[in-house]
Amino acid sequence: MNFSGADRKRQLVTVGVGTVLMLVMAGVLIAGFRLATQMNANVAALQTASALQTYPNTLVAQLTSLRDRLETRAYSGQALADLRATVEKFDREMKQLGEFSHSPQFEQAQALWQQYSPVLDPVIDFTDQPYVDSDEEGSTLSPEGRTHYADVKRAQLFTQENSEPLQALLAGLSTQLQTEASTGANRLRVLLSAGVLAALVLAAAAAWFQLTRGRSERLAREAQEQTRDILRTVKEGFFLLDADYKIGSVWSDALTRLFGRSDFAGLAFEELLKDLVPPATLATAMKYIKLLWGERAHENLMKSINPLGQLEIHVETASGAREARYLQFDFHRVMGPKGVKHVLVSVGDITSSVLLAKELQESQENANQQVDMMLGVMHIDPVQLMSFLDSTETGLQLVNAILKEPARTDAEFRKKLDGLFRELHSIKGEASALNLMSVAHRTHALEDMVTELKKRPELSGNDFLPLVLKLDDLLAHLRSVRELATRLSNLRESAPTEARGGRSSGKGGTDELSRTLQSLAERLAKDHNKKFRLSVSGLADIPRAYVPTLKDVLIQMLRNSAVHGIEPAEVRRANTKSDVGEVRIEFRKSADGFELMFEDDGAGLLPEQLKAAAVRKQIVTPEEAAAMDTRAAMALIFRPGFSTQEQVSMDAGRGVGMDVVAKSVYAIGGKIGVTTNPGKFTRFKVSLPASEETSTAVA
Amino acid sequence: MIQESELKTFVEGTTNYFEVAAQQPASIGSPYLVTEGQPSVHEYTGVINITGKREGVVYFTAPKAMLTVLLMKMQESDFSHETMRDLVGEVANTISGNARKDFGRDFVISVPSVLTGEKPEIPAMPGLRSFVIPINWRSHSAKLVVALK
Amino acid sequence: MNAVNGNTGNGARRTYKLMIVDDSNIMRRRIERSQNFEELEVVGTASNGVEALELFKKMDPDLVTMDLTMPQMDGIECIENLVKLKPAVRILVISALADKATAVEAMEKGANGFLNKPFTDRQLNEAIAELIR
Repeated sequence: MNFSGADRKRQLVTVGVGTVLMLVMAGVLIAGFRLATQMNANVAALQTASALQTYPNTLVAQLTSLRDRLETRAYSGQALADLRATVEKFDREMKQLGEFSHSPQFEQAQALWQQYSPVLDPVIDFTDQPYVDSDEEGSTLSPEGRTHYADVKRAQLFTQENSEPLQALLAGLSTQLQTEASTGANRLRVLLSAGVLAALVLAAAAAWFQLTRGRSERLAREAQEQTRDILRTVKEGFFLLDADYKIGSVWSDALTRLFGRSDFAGLAFEELLKDLVPPATLATAMKYIKLLWGERAHENLMKSINPLGQLEIHVETASGAREARYLQFDFHRVMGPKGVKHVLVSVGDITSSVLLAKELQESQENANQQVDMMLGVMHIDPVQLMSFLDSTETGLQLVNAILKEPARTDAEFRKKLDGLFRELHSIKGEASALNLMSVAHRTHALEDMVTELKKRPELSGNDFLPLVLKLDDLLAHLRSVRELATRLSNLRESAPTEARGGRSSGKGGTDELSRTLQSLAERLAKDHNKKFRLSVSGLADIPRAYVPTLKDVLIQMLRNSAVHGIEPAEVRRANTKSDVGEVRIEFRKSADGFELMFEDDGAGLLPEQLKAAAVRKQIVTPEEAAAMDTRAAMALIFRPGFSTQEQVSMDAGRGVGMDVVAKSVYAIGGKIGVTTNPGKFTRFKVSLPASEETSTAVA
Repeated sequence: MIQESELKTFVEGTTNYFEVAAQQPASIGSPYLVTEGQPSVHEYTGVINITGKREGVVYFTAPKAMLTVLLMKMQESDFSHETMRDLVGEVANTISGNARKDFGRDFVISVPSVLTGEKPEIPAMPGLRSFVIPINWRSHSAKLVVALK
Repeated sequence: MNAVNGNTGNGARRTYKLMIVDDSNIMRRRIERSQNFEELEVVGTASNGVEALELFKKMDPDLVTMDLTMPQMDGIECIENLVKLKPAVRILVISALADKATAVEAMEKGANGFLNKPFTDRQLNEAIAELIR
């Protein structure tokens, strides 16, 4: 919000209008006053001029009266005094008039009046006795009286002569004064009208400005209110940082909730974070803020390196406890004309979503550790339990073996699902039967996942990741069940380890291996509706170091035999073979190490089929295939990629993961070979070097 | 227990490399467990060690043939042993970078080391099952192995 | 940024000397090959921080792409040294280390851009463009 510029402008306009209004009014008043004063003077002058018009005749009359009195020897003192007064008045008023009128009429009138002076002065200056009283003649003019009489007579004649012109001149003067007065009046009228008009215009302007100002103020106030409402209601903390990394004067109320304080104005950003985050984070955060001002990096880059995207802080709650919160800071530059002006910071509380994610994770982890198995385990016969665990682990090995088959296409992935479901379902059944609910639940969950996968339109390796995780979880669980069971049986002392088949005897778990293989064979026979017997020998001699690899190898081979090698009973019968197939596994010492033999009396391998498949998979060219002898053709099954494609169409093949098998044999320094007689048998021979472990054991 | 999200981070780090560096996405094959011992490896293996919230190893192991084609796709013409090492190192580097991005400081992830040969000395993680995730690219297959406590 | 192309006339354009620092051969060649700016001239590549510093003094590049995890002086330290030698140098960090603190640290020491490994040719060129325009 930034209204201050417009505000100032508006203020300036108002002050300007007021000043102009005052100046205009003052001008009008001063001019009016001057005009009025002048008019006042004009009116006075006009009165004087009008009065003066009568004086020439008055003078004539008074002189005539004086002459009459002198002629009749009457008392002339009063008449002379009247004349004197008139002359004085005439003089005075002419002088007054002269103060503001310099018109030609006045000049002429004055000039004429000045001609009166020499004529009238002797008359009015007369102060002697005009008469001499004698008895003989009665009253007669004294010598002075005679001169006086002559003066009066002359003056009377002069005034009579000049009365008309002087009067005319004075009349002209008063006409002129009258014109001047009316001009003045007109001027005053115009001035006043103009003044009133100007005042009206200015007042209207002022009123208009006031009105618009009111409106914009109202808008500003509304905007301010809205801003306030936003800041009060918004859930995120908002504030601006200035170039000194200090918080500005406006912030949203949420900030108080988020940080449990309210002294934000002018607070340094560093101060805000200081007690909440570890020093290293604080240092990174401050470096980051500094970079925001640098403008070296554009907004997207800055956003991508924001170190406060999910910040764990600890705040004190009302009850005084410390509580972890997760805040998400976002920074946006606010640009001004001279680069970055502010940085707008928004802070959101993402605690609930972070905690939810954590809870989910924890509950998953907890489920793993729950010892609900405890009760179940305690009630099961130890021997039965161990046999269940063995069988379950075998089943899961099988599950893993199914997973291990390479797959790239939807069809290849989909092919696994039935086998997985079958294995899981039977494990679940056994667990339920034993009332081992912790195992049953987990297996059930896995089974559900498989069912869910079946519904998916397109399958890929990603879909199987959760399955493998669950499988891992189940294996871990089985291990802890086994541990618990072992501890329980040790406690009971009623079930010595030998009773369970020498599980923990020192032979590297090879007895366990033969048991695993036996139970796997049973399982596979059942699953695939085949009949075969497994005989093993010498497995106890397998050096410990080879056990894990050979176990994998044998499981894979046994699976291949059960699925692809051993024919269904009716096929066997038709081929004059016994209904029940034979699978033999032998391990023995050889001249330079050991030898493992795996043989089934199944369908065998057909070199031409193998070659055709290899060509189809572009492992070899048709020319190369044609040049291969039987031995080379057999070796194809160990070539990488041979078993990774088109398995669905390879019903008769034996290529389930043999490259993988070969690889793991190579990994322990061994060699693998295959011989076959189509329709009769397939035999794998694995040669292994004498391991370090055995050489020391022999020594 | 390892989380699906964690596994996915490693997987994405790997497949992403192929997609970006060779403009051809890799897909993941059928994942499985190796319950005993260590999964077999190919000729070139890039290993990162992880400590902190989780402990263990993650490695990417690929056959020479795959790396050769990958280099060709990247318009490289040098297919020497050194270049191959470089390449698996880069892949491992990317996996580690991706993990650091997703897990932040919870994970302390080592600078990748590159091992060669069929029997390299990958640090053993006794008692840990390994997750093996085949990484299929064109006709080749590599492996991503995750063994975390 | 004072190397100006010797050509005169309207077409005269700045050329920038580029140095590539990465411990991986592939990566060095990849960057060299994938950048498609006519105005860029690769004046050298280095496989660790010490080498980079030597080469920098000799070639005086305007632009540097910098890996972070390298033997012998890591990228961050190297950035610091390069900026000291030539404050106007522009440095693009190209690293698989994608955590925020590292990125902030690199920027603070004087890097001008950040590109995550792996990257496409397009991402690389965009990042370089960001630096020279």
